[in-house]
This record gives sequence, structure tokens and C-alpha cells, in this order.
Amino acid sequence: MSFLNKILPNVMPLWSGDGGILQAIWQTVYMTFWTAVVSGILGLFLGFLLILTDEGGLLPNRPVYFILDKVVNIFRSIPFIILLAVVYPLTRLLVHTGIGPTAALVPLILGTAPFFARQVQNALLTVDPGVIEAAQAMGLGPWQIVFRVYLREGASELVRVGVLTIISAIGLTAMAGAVGGGGLGNIAIAIGYQRYQNDVIWTAMILMLILVFLIQFIGDIIARKLHH
Amino acid sequence: MAEAIITLNQIDVLFKEKARSVHAVDHVDLTVNRGDVYGIVGYSGAGKSTLVRVINLLQRPTTGSVTVLGQDMLALDAKALRGERKRIGMIFQHFNLMNSRTVAENVAFPLRGHKSKAEIAAKVEELLELVGLADRATAYPAELSGGQKQRVGIARALASDPEILISDEATSALDPKTTSAILDLLKSLNEKLGLTIVLITHEMEAVKQICNKVAVMDAGRIIERGNLLDIFAKPEQKLTKDFIDTTLQLDAAVAAVKQQPAVANLKSPDRLVRLTYLGASTDQPLVATLYKDFNVTANILFGDIQILQGTPFGNLIVVLSGTAADLERTFAYLAQNDVTVLDLNAKEDAQ
Repeated sequence: MSFLNKILPNVMPLWSGDGGILQAIWQTVYMTFWTAVVSGILGLFLGFLLILTDEGGLLPNRPVYFILDKVVNIFRSIPFIILLAVVYPLTRLLVHTGIGPTAALVPLILGTAPFFARQVQNALLTVDPGVIEAAQAMGLGPWQIVFRVYLREGASELVRVGVLTIISAIGLTAMAGAVGGGGLGNIAIAIGYQRYQNDVIWTAMILMLILVFLIQFIGDIIARKLHH
Repeated sequence: MAEAIITLNQIDVLFKEKARSVHAVDHVDLTVNRGDVYGIVGYSGAGKSTLVRVINLLQRPTTGSVTVLGQDMLALDAKALRGERKRIGMIFQHFNLMNSRTVAENVAFPLRGHKSKAEIAAKVEELLELVGLADRATAYPAELSGGQKQRVGIARALASDPEILISDEATSALDPKTTSAILDLLKSLNEKLGLTIVLITHEMEAVKQICNKVAVMDAGRIIERGNLLDIFAKPEQKLTKDFIDTTLQLDAAVAAVKQQPAVANLKSPDRLVRLTYLGASTDQPLVATLYKDFNVTANILFGDIQILQGTPFGNLIVVLSGTAADLERTFAYLAQNDVTVLDLNAKEDAQ
């Protein structure tokens, strides 16, 4: 213990309690989890809509595709740190505060869902169009093809892009943390960086890396299970 | 009277691209009768794939009418169309199996939601038995050879007990031996189940092996069609002749024959000819008759006899020697007996 106190002089007192590192870990996990769940559902829906309404898709619809495609592009083009500021009024409206992990969810979801939608679209493009045609020839309707062909044949690719998206969302939580969202990003910047406590910065970074590796590891196992 | 099971009437398919529009299918009429194995042959880009996709409306025609199994397909709503599609099986060049499902799951795929688990299991077993893959039920497509994958494709296509099977270049990705085995399987399904098959291919060989009717497509049109035997015996279009000659490898034979001294130093009035004959004419001892009755000797340089739908189909390349008068009488006799004579010297002169 004294050894840890020696090499991490600023970390140990900061470990528990309100505003401590344990709480920050929890906040980061909380933000990542809910961003993943909500963006996952939204992105999956939008990604499928893009695939289905695209020219040559199962439900081609030029206006819907055009608008969706542009909206996704625009949201993906806004730097996240600016998106945070831009949606601040919306955040206040929805959660009645601009501070804390729940408030951070609003920009996190707006930043992540379009990114995931594009990833889903690309993942589904890897499904062999011949298999889709075969399913049509067998008399399956568009929704049956979504659930029984796209989701099944694209599953391992969807897991892969899902992991990619969650990891990118963890990065965004750090940025959201820096402007009042809490979490490990907040610890690293507001305490570590601004008070010149390098051991705090390093600890926050290593904890985030552990989180990333954990998610990558689990994702790889699932993707491998799904791939034949 | 044969029952028309597929009737395509004045089918036109236009693909509009940015700069131009492509006339993929150009005013095609096609009638397929129940029990037919109808071959549609043509080079890639001729419009065959587009044409057969009109049958199950995977491709909607720009104009024309489509009647399949007595249904006006274009009049159906989406749900009714899906129901009709279950009566039309389809197999593909690249098999189009789902890699995430086992062989048995692929075959069961069209049945899910329509039958009980036990019924599906029994049906799948029966189908895999039928295509000779009963022992690979739990394998994934990645573990199968091309021929085995196509067998799974066939079993899957047959799962909903269709009356029609569309084969879209189903053997084009397979080696010759496997191709032949798959074609035999299709033929046996035609005979056993009364399945009507529409087979598109760029290989006349495949058509020759199992089809009773054939249509030749070029640039979106059917340029020649008829019974297999008639088309082989008396092709009219240049493209049809090319397809047949490629299959019989006659071009190579003629080239080799012309190298021989007996042909190179041909003396007038001797003639180098190709005799094509079918069925009954074969039974007559042709060469002997020519010598005995017309005093003409036939020196056979190349001979090929194939069995098409149980009927012998022969091609001989011979040098006929005799007096000019005897040769004239010989040609008249041959024409009377349905032996097609092609003068190979004349062909060369013309070129």
C-alpha cells in the first residue's frame, strides 16, 4: 500500500468518494452503456433503412434515402466537441441540466448513432446479394429478409462494427467528460492535466484502455462464434 | 395436348442508365410446357438471366404479359406474388447458400413458419436423400465442394414442392464431371417429380445432355427455337450452328481433316462434305448404299455419333469420289433421306 502511495501519490487519495476515480469508472461505464444501447437501436434502424431504401434495395425510395444519407453525413461531419456545444440547449430541454453523465448522453447518442448507422449499412453490404435474391425467389418478404437473412448472415460483421462503435463511443465519453459529463475523461483533464498530476492522467488512461480491451476481447469471441 | 405452364408474351425489359438505355430483353415470346426441360442458350449479356427472372418477377418487364401456372403474375399483389414464387424454385450459378446456416438449415429455410418442426425435419431428410447429401446435413457450406453446394441449392429450391425449377447457369461454376452429375440429377427430378425445368446456360453441352427444347438468345431476342433434335439436325442461324459446332468440336475436326494429303490434293469431281443425319437415317448402311447403288465411294475422315434424347445424331466428314453424274444422283438421294450435306470446299471458297 505504501508502495502504491509512493508511485501514485495523487491517485490513492482520489480513489473513492464523491468525484473519485471509482465513481468516474462507473460514470464512464454508464455513459458508454446507454450510448451503446440507444445508439445501437437507432443506428441499426437507420442502417437498415439506408440499405432497404437504397437504389437496388428491397424497398427502394429515393427521397428517403437521399435525406437519410445526408443527415447521417452531416452529423458525422460535426466535430464532437462542437456538437456538445451545439446541442447544449437541447440537452437542457431534455434532462433539465447540462452537467453530469446523463446530460452527456444526449450529444453522445447524437454523435454515435449516425456513425453506427453508416457502419451498419457497410456491414450489411457485405451480405451476398445473391443470397438476398435467393430469399426473394423463395417468396420471402422484405421484413422476413431483414430478420432471417440480413441479421443472420450479417451478424458477425454487425458485431464487429458494434465493437468498433462502442470503442469510439468510449473516446467520446472522455471528451464529454471534459466539459462536465464526468467520468474518467473528466478525472484526467480536470484533475490530472489542470493540476499537473501526471499519475492521475496515466491511471485514467490505463483504466480506459482496460475497458477498451475488455470490449474488444468479448466482441472478438462473439464474432468468431458467429462466423462459419 | 401439352399444357403451357409458362407463357411470356411480348416481353420487353429496358434498363435505363444515365446516358443510354439498354434493351436487355427485346419483344420475346416464350412458351414452356409442363414436363419440358427447356434450355435457353446464349453468350453472356444476351439477356437470358434477365428473361428467366421475368418468370418469377425478380425482374419486372417494361412491357408484356407473364402467365405462370395459370396466374397472370403482373396482376398479383406483393403477398400473392410471394405465394406464387414458392411454386417456382430457382438455383444459381454461385449457389447463394447462407454461410451462417448448416446444410440442413439451408434446406429448411423456406419451410420455417409454414410447417411443424417434425415435418420440416422429415422433409429436409427426404430432400437431402434425394440429392445425395444425407450424410452432410450438419456441415456448413464452407466445408462443401461446388457440386455439393449446388445439390444443397437444388434441395432448398425443391423444399416448397415447386412445379417449376429455374436454373440460372447452375453448372457454369462447376467442372465438367460435376456439371454432368448435376445435369443428370436435374433430369432425374424432371422424370421422377414431373418438374418443369427452365435452364439457362452458355454451354450447348448442357442443353444437349438434358433438354428437350432449346431457344437461342442473342442481343435480347430469341433468334431460333424448337425441339432439341430439330435444332441440332437443321440449325438455321449462324450463332446456333456455332454453338452446336463448338459442342461437337467439328471446327477442330474439319481443320485437322483439311491437313490430310487425301483432302489437300482433292481431285475434281471429288467432294469433301459433311453429312449430318438424325435417327432413322442412321439405321441405313449409308456408306454401303452409296457404293452399291450409286458407285460412289465414301472415305470417312471423321465421324461422330451422339445420342440426343435416345435418338442417334451423326456427323461424318467424308470425301465422296465418283463421276460427276453419280455424285449429283448421290446428293439427291441424301437430301431425300434427310441427310444434310454441307460442302466443306465450298465453305472455304466462300470465305
